[in-house]
Amino acid sequence: MSYFTPTIVLLKEGTDSSQGKGHLLSNIDACTEIVNTLKSTLGPRGMDKLITNDRGKSTVTNDGATVMRLLDVVHPAVQTLVDIAMSQDSEVGDGTTSVVVLAGEILEQSRSFIKENVHPQTLIKAFRKACFKCRERIKEIAIESNVKDEKQWNSMLKKCASTAMNSKLIAGHKDAFSDMVVQAVRSLDPEFPEVDLIGIKKVGGGAMEESFLVNGVAFKKTFSYAGFEQQPKKFTTPKIALLNIELELKNEKENAEIRIKDPKEYQKIVEAEWELIYEKLEKIVDSGANIVLSRLPIGDLATQYFADRDIFCAGRVEEGDMKRLSVITGKQIQSTTNGFTSEMVGECELMEEKQIGSERYNIFTGFEKQGSTTIILRGGAEQFLAESERSLHDAIMVVHRAMMNSKVVAGGGAIEMELSRYLHEYAKTIYGKEQMLISAFAKALEIIPRQISQNAGFDSVDIMNKLRKGHFEKPKENIWMGVDIENEGVCDTMKSFVWEPSLMKLNMLSASTDAACLVLSVDETVKSPSLQDNNKISMEGRK
Amino acid sequence: MLRFDSSGKPFIIIRDQDQKERLTGSEARKANILAAMTVANLMKTSIGPLGMDKILVDQDGEVTATNDGATILKNMQVENPIAKLLVELSQGQDDEIGDGTTSVVVLAGALLEESLSLLEKGIHPSKISEGYEKACDIAVKHLLKICDKIEFDKENCGSLVKAAKTSLGSKIVNQYTEKIAKISVEAVLAVADLERKDVRFDLIKLEGKTGGTLGDTELIDGIIIPKNFSHPQMPKQIKNAKIAILTCPFEPPKPKTGHKLDIDSVKKYKELLEIEQNYFKEMTDLVKKSGATLVLCQWGFDDEANHLLLQKKLPAVRWVSGTDIELIAIATGARIVPRFSELTEKKLGKAGMVIEKSIGTTDEKMIVIEKCSNTKTVTILVKGGNKMVVEEGKRSIHDALCVTRNLIKDNRIVYGGGAAEISCSVAVNKASKENTGVEQYSIRAFSQALLSVPIALASNSGLNSLEAVSEIQLKQMEKESSFLGIDCLSKGTNNMKEQYVFDTLRGKIQEFLLATQMAKMILKIDDIIRPTGQY
Repeated sequence: MSYFTPTIVLLKEGTDSSQGKGHLLSNIDACTEIVNTLKSTLGPRGMDKLITNDRGKSTVTNDGATVMRLLDVVHPAVQTLVDIAMSQDSEVGDGTTSVVVLAGEILEQSRSFIKENVHPQTLIKAFRKACFKCRERIKEIAIESNVKDEKQWNSMLKKCASTAMNSKLIAGHKDAFSDMVVQAVRSLDPEFPEVDLIGIKKVGGGAMEESFLVNGVAFKKTFSYAGFEQQPKKFTTPKIALLNIELELKNEKENAEIRIKDPKEYQKIVEAEWELIYEKLEKIVDSGANIVLSRLPIGDLATQYFADRDIFCAGRVEEGDMKRLSVITGKQIQSTTNGFTSEMVGECELMEEKQIGSERYNIFTGFEKQGSTTIILRGGAEQFLAESERSLHDAIMVVHRAMMNSKVVAGGGAIEMELSRYLHEYAKTIYGKEQMLISAFAKALEIIPRQISQNAGFDSVDIMNKLRKGHFEKPKENIWMGVDIENEGVCDTMKSFVWEPSLMKLNMLSASTDAACLVLSVDETVKSPSLQDNNKISMEGRK
Repeated sequence: MLRFDSSGKPFIIIRDQDQKERLTGSEARKANILAAMTVANLMKTSIGPLGMDKILVDQDGEVTATNDGATILKNMQVENPIAKLLVELSQGQDDEIGDGTTSVVVLAGALLEESLSLLEKGIHPSKISEGYEKACDIAVKHLLKICDKIEFDKENCGSLVKAAKTSLGSKIVNQYTEKIAKISVEAVLAVADLERKDVRFDLIKLEGKTGGTLGDTELIDGIIIPKNFSHPQMPKQIKNAKIAILTCPFEPPKPKTGHKLDIDSVKKYKELLEIEQNYFKEMTDLVKKSGATLVLCQWGFDDEANHLLLQKKLPAVRWVSGTDIELIAIATGARIVPRFSELTEKKLGKAGMVIEKSIGTTDEKMIVIEKCSNTKTVTILVKGGNKMVVEEGKRSIHDALCVTRNLIKDNRIVYGGGAAEISCSVAVNKASKENTGVEQYSIRAFSQALLSVPIALASNSGLNSLEAVSEIQLKQMEKESSFLGIDCLSKGTNNMKEQYVFDTLRGKIQEFLLATQMAKMILKIDDIIRPTGQY
């Protein structure tokens, strides 16, 4: 019999591993920590965050996904929350804060059960069930909008867009912006709507009110060579050539060397080079195009050549803009001039160079078919514009989603309260531990209306009481009872037009539940030492 | 930002957590408002005709003395993110309007200062924002109500000159406002398209030269290039010049592809030499044949070519910059020619007179191209005692040009000297009483903040600021006239209409909107996360 138990070194030196109940609770603590940071951005009275990174770049934002990304989270459990915010952002575009807040609250609710030694898997099973029930309920009660009725359909989309903008900086102008957003999204191809085809251009200076929608494509004047100013700047019914060719006098082949024996040959070589570029230019001119746009640079020689022939050109046009033009004109971007004919040039009604603020913009409008629009965003400062762009992007995504799925629910915490009520009732019909756990999930859902009213500086306890009472007493009439931001009270948010696509809520529920379950199912984290620490250890070891 | 979990173990949630600090809630708001107020207070002293200048020294020891809000802020190189926002704010105003860059910052600062006491009363920041938004709306509507129109046309531009004078009033050039205002207006009118209400600024060139005084500033109907003729013996003056603009050097052409010429015999060497000589001859011949009497070249030329040009009596200028080439091409109607072989008579530009002038006693020379066939290009030659003065002069003229342009775009004006602000303040204050609830407070705060510009104006003018402003407020209310302002220059009347002090309506509206926007944005922030030890 030996008294000596050898130490077994299983993991690399410096590896951090912790496990068990304590570890799980610690993870929940970490999640709560980050949720607390994020929570104040929720709702129409939510505040913004100013985050400065180590390079001194600062961002002002209200968007949950952006905050999560900028925080640069390294904690492994919290990372899951970051991921769901991102997934909500890419899937629905809006509700990124709610998803994190809800997941955090579910974890918070499960804390006491963990302490009482309920097995995490039991919790997970119950939460999944609750989530499933909620999703069913949303599908049941969501209000289908009449797609056929153009007017009603449009106004529903607008309401969804303005709800998404409620909490943002641009809330003051949400009417104008929701108009723009809906118009922009509706101009997309209904079969394959690609949100990329809506360009957002930011021009500093000017007031928010001066933002406008271009029914076509607009881009900033590109870098130009001498001679550009001599080109005409306004065309009616121009022909547009879209190219991906470098129009510059240059060496055709890298690392090539020409050996000349006879000095007389010299001139021929020079001529040959000129020949190459002139041939390209001639072919373009022959196609009848009077606007030449290229992804690659257009050099001074070509610029002057075009100026001489009253053709407008722009080189180094951004890829997105070229793509938009290509889609809206229905023409491909050409990467060679060989076989370049008049069939390959697009058309529009009007192209004009306009001064917007201190920038000059090339604006193309009047295309035969729709398919691409550009929103010109104005505002006082860079951060302001950046935040506005994010908010618009959210709104665009929401409208885009709502168009595919025409069902809406009421926001302002109404749907969450209804789900909470529904789960409470459901919990009473089942037997066993699950009853308590599903009730806990129901309680977690209340965080959304509670946080909205808290952020608005209301007495949240009072408002929650009113909401609960309303929903339990008259579940039918008060189904859409939510927080009334204007008058510090409760109201039917369906009637006050706080509408959200049901898809967003469905996604939010499953994403939050997934994240919470993931954190709950972890009972051990093994963290390898980072490379830096590793070096330190080995250095010390050598001493 | 060290955090502990419930069992007391520290955990790291975000990267470099120990090197970041966080301010939240009212603490964050106060820090932001304070930063904004600091910037605004700094700018206050440069408002108005008697506002002072600031000297800024950058890292390279370059000194700038200026009174222009946007320039001051840009050169201060602020680090604080909130202060940076204000810098961009004034930049935005500069880009869009070109004037009122100081007032917009002062107004934004005042709005935030007022909100401080509202926050202390416990009003929710977004409520304050909403109130500001409403008040701004009222103020803008009021501006539209009180605005006046000024009439002008190409011949009769007296009113434009007066507007330009107001803008120049606070600048270093104020000794010569009359003259410089006139120059600015003439320059803008020369390039303006009055029908389309469009002014292309790139057709106005601002050239600076030290020597002389600002009063010697002149408007040249044409273009100045800071170069001289390539050979001292070339004629200094060309009448009815036909200009060839070349973007190829007077040198044997070189293929862009790497190349190597093998010379293995004397014969070949001589041949090569001959070919080279021929190139020069051919080039000058081609130029001469096209009928050009002046050659402007973007690149340099060989001494050989220079000599040949002199022989052929072809004055030439080398190393003309790309932007100058473009301007000259537009002005003279020339086409830019990339190859000698493409040079034809049709591609030449025409100018009535080209002279090489020397300025002052220095041997610095410049070439003036006047009476271009397409006159729509002008140059303002700014002169001044030293570089700082010239630079500031340029900036002031730019402001005056902007004001004139804005008036051409939209001829509605409001009266300056704080008259418009005071009038709006009165209107907003009145409107505040129609609102119930907390909004009333923030609307009233907005009306208070509006007075910050006239107050700064009065105190910079050495008046008892509060007294002066309140007196005017009273007068405006009694007479219900919106054109009473601060008499900064002690001219004996408060009537701005008589003093001809006015601002463009567009500029003023923009100022209100931008300042409100900025205040709203800063108020909405309640959480700052940043690396420790900064700011």
